[in-house]
Amino acid sequence: MNPFRTTTLAAMVVVATLMAGAVQVAEAAATQRIEPTQIGMGESARLTIAASGGDASAISPPMVAGLEFIAVAQSQRIESINGVSSASTSVTYQVIPQEAGVFTIPGSGSGSSPVVLTVSPSNGQGSAAASGGSVRLTAPSARQSALPAGSTRVTANGAAFVRLRLPKHELYVGETIPVDIQVGMRDGFVASLNGLPTLNGDAFTLEKLSSQPQRAEEIIDGRPYTVLTWHSALAAVKPGELALTVETPLTVRMRTAARPDAGFLGEAGLDDLFSDPMFQNFFGASTEKEITVASAPTAFSVFALPAHDRPADFSGAVGSFSISSDISDDKVAAGDPVTLRLRVSGTGNFDRVTTPMLHDVEHWKTYAPTAKFKAEDDIGHRGEKTFEQPVIATRPGTQSLPALTFSWFDPNSRRYVVARTSPLSVAITAGAPASQVVSTASLAAASSNNNGDSPAGYRDDHGLRPDHVVIGSATASLLPHYYQPAYMAVPSFLLAALSGAWFWIRRREQNASAEAARANEFPQTEALLASMEEARAAGDTTRFFHTARLALRGALASQWQVNPASITLADVETRLGASSVTARVFKLADEAAYAGTRLTPADFQWWRQLVLREISNEAMS
Amino acid sequence: MNRLKLALSLGVAFLGVAAIGSASAAGPADRPATPSAYSAPALYDLGNFYARAGRPAMAVLNYERARVLAPTEPDVQKNLSHVRESLGLPAPHPGWLSQHDRLANPNTLYWIGILGLAITGVALLRRRVSSKQPALLAAGAVVGSLLMALGLCDAIATASTLHEYVVMAATAARTSPTSAVEPLFAVPLAEVVHVRDQHQGFALIRDSQGREGWVANADLAPVIPSIGNITGASTPPEAPR
Repeated sequence: MNPFRTTTLAAMVVVATLMAGAVQVAEAAATQRIEPTQIGMGESARLTIAASGGDASAISPPMVAGLEFIAVAQSQRIESINGVSSASTSVTYQVIPQEAGVFTIPGSGSGSSPVVLTVSPSNGQGSAAASGGSVRLTAPSARQSALPAGSTRVTANGAAFVRLRLPKHELYVGETIPVDIQVGMRDGFVASLNGLPTLNGDAFTLEKLSSQPQRAEEIIDGRPYTVLTWHSALAAVKPGELALTVETPLTVRMRTAARPDAGFLGEAGLDDLFSDPMFQNFFGASTEKEITVASAPTAFSVFALPAHDRPADFSGAVGSFSISSDISDDKVAAGDPVTLRLRVSGTGNFDRVTTPMLHDVEHWKTYAPTAKFKAEDDIGHRGEKTFEQPVIATRPGTQSLPALTFSWFDPNSRRYVVARTSPLSVAITAGAPASQVVSTASLAAASSNNNGDSPAGYRDDHGLRPDHVVIGSATASLLPHYYQPAYMAVPSFLLAALSGAWFWIRRREQNASAEAARANEFPQTEALLASMEEARAAGDTTRFFHTARLALRGALASQWQVNPASITLADVETRLGASSVTARVFKLADEAAYAGTRLTPADFQWWRQLVLREISNEAMS
Repeated sequence: MNRLKLALSLGVAFLGVAAIGSASAAGPADRPATPSAYSAPALYDLGNFYARAGRPAMAVLNYERARVLAPTEPDVQKNLSHVRESLGLPAPHPGWLSQHDRLANPNTLYWIGILGLAITGVALLRRRVSSKQPALLAAGAVVGSLLMALGLCDAIATASTLHEYVVMAATAARTSPTSAVEPLFAVPLAEVVHVRDQHQGFALIRDSQGREGWVANADLAPVIPSIGNITGASTPPEAPR
């Protein structure tokens, strides 16, 4: 309800009472209605009792064993028709079942008919309503608590409160429980809600809160509050004795001026009217302030999941579940896919409800399953999760799909539960299948002979070409080798190896060329000796000693492993001595070239023999 | 000369090892696929399954993946075309290179390119050290170069596939990477789009008509799953086992 309207309505009531005198009140009559008429444990219904007259105290909550009634809203209506005023009051109760059954709520006044509320153990689909008082159905095996009202701790100035409503205070790690987070805001005192409620601490997780909470009116200590309710699911992430608080940021209006004396006009009810910040704000006597309102600490006992008897395939599901399985078709052709379904329904943490379905089943080709969850409440705490797995039979005959298993921890019985479905049989026909099965090899052969068409260009009822039964070669990644780092190294390595070989060959060729050049620069000894003979016969002293020096250089170069051109007279004198034959030949070659020394035929012969002997000695050494 | 022979022998041995590696990566023909392994026939079958189950986006995704591994398989092409036509999607317009280069599996073409590189290199080296059989060596170099070019072209053609995504839920492309702005154009279910950029949960796509806009990553699934995919993209179960 709009805070301004509430305040204005209250003022109108006071003014009307003071100025108009007594209001003609119609004869008291009451009606009541309840919505919805069928709920499940953990849910609540709303009972509205309307009575003529302006006195809300004339309406009292019903008393029905197994049901709890909490007043959540109150409204009054005053009508004036042709000068005749009439008033009516209605009170709305939240009806919280404490056990399953069919309950009759008796009428609360004259003309009020009883209403029937059916509470089913889990999903609100109870049996038909019975009449004639309260009829209890078969009691559930484990009593489930509804969401009792949490303790309400109103802020010091009475402007707002935050409270939690929980079905229980003992839970297991991973178990999710429904939770209502309620933020109450005193009409006129709260300017704005500045954010969603958040948990204090890291021991619990909360499902995402909706930005559109439920809105209701509630009277607490005679003061009206607008109560916003978020339905969510709470889960503990670690064991221990834990406390939980929820807080939310608000902007409230604070009074800055002195309050009028209590008992002004002798009406206690006007105290709130003049304390209302709406009035204060009107006269500039209030200011706004941002505060954070926290709920009273709620204690929890959180237990770790027992390690004993934990099933191997336990995935962390905690709750109360049941499973069933079926297949899409029990008679198919070999190669046609069928869908194996596993349904897990109940209440619990469905985000942890997972199963690998079937693996490596003989005569079956299995694929990864998909999962779909259909929630039956706002918070995903109750619903059904369906796993679908495509499977294809590879051999005709009656083939069996093994039983599926699913395990969870039941917090009510405090033990692990392993549920198994029944094995399923599928008749696999070999001939004239719905989608003709051919092997990859036969398809390939047909493709090459028939312009890409399989035999007879077959298509199934869906207009699709048939399946390929043979799986063929597999690869670990769809990413082509070009873009995988390990494979990128292969061409790099090969290119480096080829380049290395190329440079090695090139260097080898360069060495061979240099050797050949050196060979051209220094002729062979035999040629040099022949040239010496020619020079001796011609009496050419200069040419004789030049040739002799070249021959000796060649011989020394082989011995010393150096370039012949680099051997000088100084080298020869250092290594062989200044009086050696080779040193004397080097000197005479220079003298003949520059001084024109001439030899007799006998000298030619003598030097020829000395040179030949030196070359022979060098070669020998 | 002995060293040269040794180098050539090492090169041949390397190619042999590479060929063995390729063969072992592919696996024997009749061996079942291992978990998390991709096989063209298995992806094709999975595409058929989803097509029959009335889930065309998943069908197109698996057909496209099968097409990566078996680009010449006619059944994959025909069923993919059939599903696309049934959805009223326009025929894709692959580039010239993609149309003419997709002769075989990209991994096969990769090894063909490597073989071409080896043949070209060995022929050029042999030509360098010996003048015998010059025509044969020249022919070897040409053939090797052609094989190398084939692999290179396929690498370039395949590069565009890395950015291909399938639209898993019909959505709307927007002018900015936020859902607060007005839709620009509708992106139909099972359309194959190219992702050109991404920003905070949205991807800039280009559709088959050349239009560009931003869509949520969660509405897209990569044709080739890899570490370079956009973050938050849909990851439907695809691996047969």
